[in-house]
This record gives sequence, structure tokens and C-alpha cells, in this order.
Amino acid sequence: MDFDWDLQQQAFRSTVRDFLAAHLPSDWESLAHGPGSESQSAFSKKFCAQLAAAGLLVPHWPERWGGRDADPWTAFILAEEMWEAGEPRGGQYMNVNWIGPTLMRFGSEEQQARYIPPMARGETIWCQGFSEPEAGSDLASLRTRAQKQGSSYRINGQKIWTSYAGHAATCFLLARTAAGREGISIFLLPMQTPGILVRQIPSLIGEGDIHEVFFDDVEVPESALLGNEGQAWEIVRTALSLERVGIPRFALATRMLHRAVDTLRQSGRFGAGAIEQAARARAACEAARFYSYGIVDQRRHGVAVGPEASAARFATVMAERLVSEFVVEHAPEGLSGRDPLLLAHHQRAVVAGIASGAAEIQLNLIATDLLRLPREPR
Amino acid sequence: MDFKLTSDQEALVSAVDKLAEQFASKPTEFHGFALAGRGLEQELEDGQYFDIAQVPELGPLCAALAVERLARLPYTAEIALSMLVRPQLPGEWPRPLAVVENGRPGRFVATAKTLLVIEGDHIGIAQPGASDVEAVESLFAYPMGQLQHKHTCKTERLSDSDAANIRKWLRVALAAESSGLLQSAIASAVDHLSQRKQFGRPLGTFQALRHRMAECAVLAGGVRWLALKAASTADAGDAALAGFHAQESATRVAYDTHQMLAAMGMTLEHPLHLWTYRLKALLSDLGGRGGQALAIAESCFGVT
Repeated sequence: MDFDWDLQQQAFRSTVRDFLAAHLPSDWESLAHGPGSESQSAFSKKFCAQLAAAGLLVPHWPERWGGRDADPWTAFILAEEMWEAGEPRGGQYMNVNWIGPTLMRFGSEEQQARYIPPMARGETIWCQGFSEPEAGSDLASLRTRAQKQGSSYRINGQKIWTSYAGHAATCFLLARTAAGREGISIFLLPMQTPGILVRQIPSLIGEGDIHEVFFDDVEVPESALLGNEGQAWEIVRTALSLERVGIPRFALATRMLHRAVDTLRQSGRFGAGAIEQAARARAACEAARFYSYGIVDQRRHGVAVGPEASAARFATVMAERLVSEFVVEHAPEGLSGRDPLLLAHHQRAVVAGIASGAAEIQLNLIATDLLRLPREPR
Repeated sequence: MDFKLTSDQEALVSAVDKLAEQFASKPTEFHGFALAGRGLEQELEDGQYFDIAQVPELGPLCAALAVERLARLPYTAEIALSMLVRPQLPGEWPRPLAVVENGRPGRFVATAKTLLVIEGDHIGIAQPGASDVEAVESLFAYPMGQLQHKHTCKTERLSDSDAANIRKWLRVALAAESSGLLQSAIASAVDHLSQRKQFGRPLGTFQALRHRMAECAVLAGGVRWLALKAASTADAGDAALAGFHAQESATRVAYDTHQMLAAMGMTLEHPLHLWTYRLKALLSDLGGRGGQALAIAESCFGVT
């Protein structure tokens, strides 16, 4: 057991930091609000292409797809540094983390050739068509239908809370081809296909972030089906296991906590009450960090990741909450025009326990799979 | 970063677990507050486990792993300070160790051969005679004792840098011991919730209780990470974070596990109190959360 970074890991982190220092513009912090906004989406495309050119977009991908087979620590150090900087990759982090690798595993040769290279070059944005008005945590109850007609499918239905849909070129769409959980299929759907309507939902979490997406008789060829009909659950489970560590939210939370504390110290407002709250938040961030590192280490050693991933996720949600509450109580000026990155952090922290599955679902998993408590009746 | 145990660490952990087996259950006839493990202490002494931090292949991280595992037992002995703090003292001092903080009663004070006497910002070391200390009755599940008002033992004051170092390792010891205690308190509650039925089904099937226990488990896991990290890095900030998170988590877990066990947890027949009342005893160490917060402010936020 060793808690030190090795020389290679230290060097890689320095490389990423140097890249960020050289490529983030001086007004980056005011751009960082709303990862789905016009301004950040445009910036992210340029930035991701530069990252790709420097070999820093997909280092953990296989060489065949533009990576160098780097280990999970490399991918996580990269993710940590990006998130701490305010995630200049925007929505493309999803491509890098799980959409690309999922296509490598389940995609047809045609799908791989069409979709993976643009991801590896940092040129394309995807959105994730999962949640629906009647299917949130209970995803298996989704209603969007894909009906086979000859050699194509007709898709009708609605998705909601879809991040980045306004700028996405392609949707990783879950739709029902038959009844039940085994009747859900995945389609790789170009967003320019006729019959798709995207409507932005004004929200607390930033410009251009969440959307409603309507599908009105959208026709796609059967070649858009990922894997087989009814294979969605298996594919999504694999995709989620690739994403188990989740976003390293603790990294930006820690940075923002320090920034808020610095503001308080400079104005002589870091008194006993604030000190104890800041300490609580700082400890929670560090606990979340090492929970996540534990998952990365399991993946590094080829150990199947279990319910510890849910614990890591919940620890991260708590850290986000404590930092966010600290800023609201002690440095609220940051949220009122004084500090765009503090505001951006707050907006992202709002959804920490909601996006990618409610925190309460994680608690259920921890209770059943980690503590081995008897299951709830259904 | 690599969290796989080395072969030396694995061997140590297995040996500690094997040694601990015979002390894994509370004797059914024991209905007291503090279950002192004299046999456990003797086994550790005979196996030279108190010196593992000084063995180069093992070090303080292994000592923390051992402290954590032994803290899960219903039996208690002065282990954490001997394994993690004693190696840091200037010179050779006999064990057991105990801390007297601002004159309050403390764990193992009545039987300690070396006392760390904390008065405000200063720490002194003393070797008490039998008449200098006395045992005191307490709910806390450790043998508690205090320094007599008119004691005659001489206290040797530590330099400021030695005192800072000792505070740091006291925090590591606090966190490592808390980690084991938290795990056992939670396991005890989970066991009860899995067996006890109300409204025709096990209590553990009710989501209100499941979520509380899951939150406790997340806290306990965090304490473990921070304790082991602090033992490994020997960094003052890491130690302060670990100490704070341990005390913070202890308040929540001690309360919630007693709620889960309800009246059963109030009895001395059930072992839950052996872990929760040790956690409560650790809550006031080094000024409690306020004290750890000041240390975090200094080490992590640069407040002087």
C-alpha cells in the first residue's frame, strides 16, 4: 500500500497542468459557466482538438483508436485536472470516459469507423438520451418506442434532462423495441435526423445544460442499432462500469473551498465558525478523493468494481454539498457576480446528487451490496 | 498510488487477524462498561507488535492497519498510542501510554507507565508512580483514570516541534482507532437490523433505516482512507483531516447505531456500547472537532 504518486504519475500531472496553463485563455473562468452554453461549447471543440493533438484527449484508449493504452490512473489524473480547471472539455468528457469505449466493445465496424475517430480528434459532442418524464431512477420504465419497419426503425417519444442536446451531433438513445427491461435497445442517432426537436430548459445549473428532446416519427436505418435488440441493459451496465469512478467533483470543490477561504482570510472573516465548517468540508473532499482513488486502484489491478463505487459517489455528493453550503453561508458574494468559477462550481454542485442517478439509489445499493442488509420488498 | 498490500503488509495483517480471533467475542457473562483485554495485550507484547512502526519493512502504515483491526474487538487495551505515538517520543519511554488532557480523566491513565500531559499548547512527559494516578468509574468503555491532584511525578516539557509532532501522531492514532470502532459499531447494528423483525419483516428492509446505515458506512470508509493516508504520509494536514473526520463521523455513527438497536443497545449485555462509548471517549481528544479544525486551518489553509 503506497500513498505516494510515482514519478510517471507526477510527470503526467505536470504535463496536463502545463497544457492547461498554455491553452486556457485569460477569460476562461467567465467562459466556464454552463458547460452546454454556446461560448463554452465552441471553446471546448477547439480545446479538445488541441488536447487530442497533444495526445491528452484519449491516452487510455487503445492505440488502434488514437490512444496509447495508458492505465486507469492516467485517465483519472487527466479527469481530475480537467474538472479542477472547470472542465474545459465540456460535454466531450462523456465521449472520452464511456461512449467511445462502449462503442469499441459493442459497436459494429461501420459504427466504430464512423463515430470513434471524430471523438478521438475532439471534434464531436454526444448527448445521452436516457431519462424521460416518467422514467428517472426507474429507467426501465421508459416509453420512447422504436418500431421496426422493414430495414429501418421509427422512433417516437420524449427524453428530458438531456445534457448538451443543443450542441450534440449524436444521441446515445435508449428506446423500447419490446416490453419489459429486456425490450430496451440502444440507437446511435444523428441529431440532425428529421423529426427531432430540442428545447432548452432554463435551469439553475447553467445556460444550455438541460433539454427536452422530442422524437416525432424519426426514421433511422437498422444500422443505427448498437448491439442487438434488447441488449440495452447489458450495454448500459458495462458503460456505467466504465464510468463507475464518476466525475472527480472533489477536485474543483477543494479548489473552490480554498478560494472561498482565501477570500475570507483576506477580509478578516475567517472566524471560528467558518473554520470548523471549512475543516468539515475539506475533510469530506479528501475522503471523497481517496474513495475515488480506491476505485481507480481496483480497476488498475483488474479487480471487479463493486458497491464501493456507490460509496465513492455518495462521499463525493456529500463533499460537494458541504463546500457549496460553505460558500453560500460565508462567501455568498462569489455567487453574485464576483467570481464566475465559484458560481459555476455551485451550479454543478446542485446536481451532484441527481445527475447520473440519484444519490438515494446509491444508498440503496450500499445498504444491499456493501452492508448486506436484507432487500426492501418491491 | 497503489493500494494493494505488499507481501509484508499482508503477512502482518493476517498475523494480527489470527491473533485477534480468540478475542473476537464478548464473554456472555460480562456486563460491565470496559472490557479490558489483558490477554490481548500480553499476546501483542509477546509478539513484539507494539514495535511494528519501527520495523523498516512495516512502518507506521502497518501500525495503523493493526490498530484499526484490533479496535474492532470487544476487548480493549492500550494499543494505538503504543504503536503509533510511542515511536515518535524523544528517547525511550515505557508503555502503556496515556494522555492527560487539561487535567481530565483519560484512557488507561491509571495503568500507564508513561503519561503525555497536555496543558494548553504544551505537552510534557511524565512517568507516574502508583500513588500519582487513580482509576475512575466511567461509562466510557475504556479503563479510565486520572492524575491525582497532588501527584509528585516530574513532567519533562517537550520542545514545540516535538509537541507538534506528537499532536500529529495522536491524531493519526485517534483516526486509526476510530476507524476500527466505527466498523464494529456499524456491523453490530447491521446484524441487529438483519435479524430483528417488526411489522412482519426485518428492520433492515425499511428504507429509512437502510439509508441511515449506508450513510454511516460511507463515513466510516472515509475515516479509514484518511487514517491510513495520514499514517503513510506523516503529514500534519493529513493527520488533522483524519482526526476531524473521525470525530465528525463518530458523533453520527454512535447516535445512529444506538437508534437502530433501540433498547437493546442500552443494555450492557449487548456489545454495541463497547464501540460507541469508546468512540465517545475519543470525541474530546485534542480539543474535539474544534481543535482538529484549528489544526486543519493551520496546515491546510495556511492560517498562522
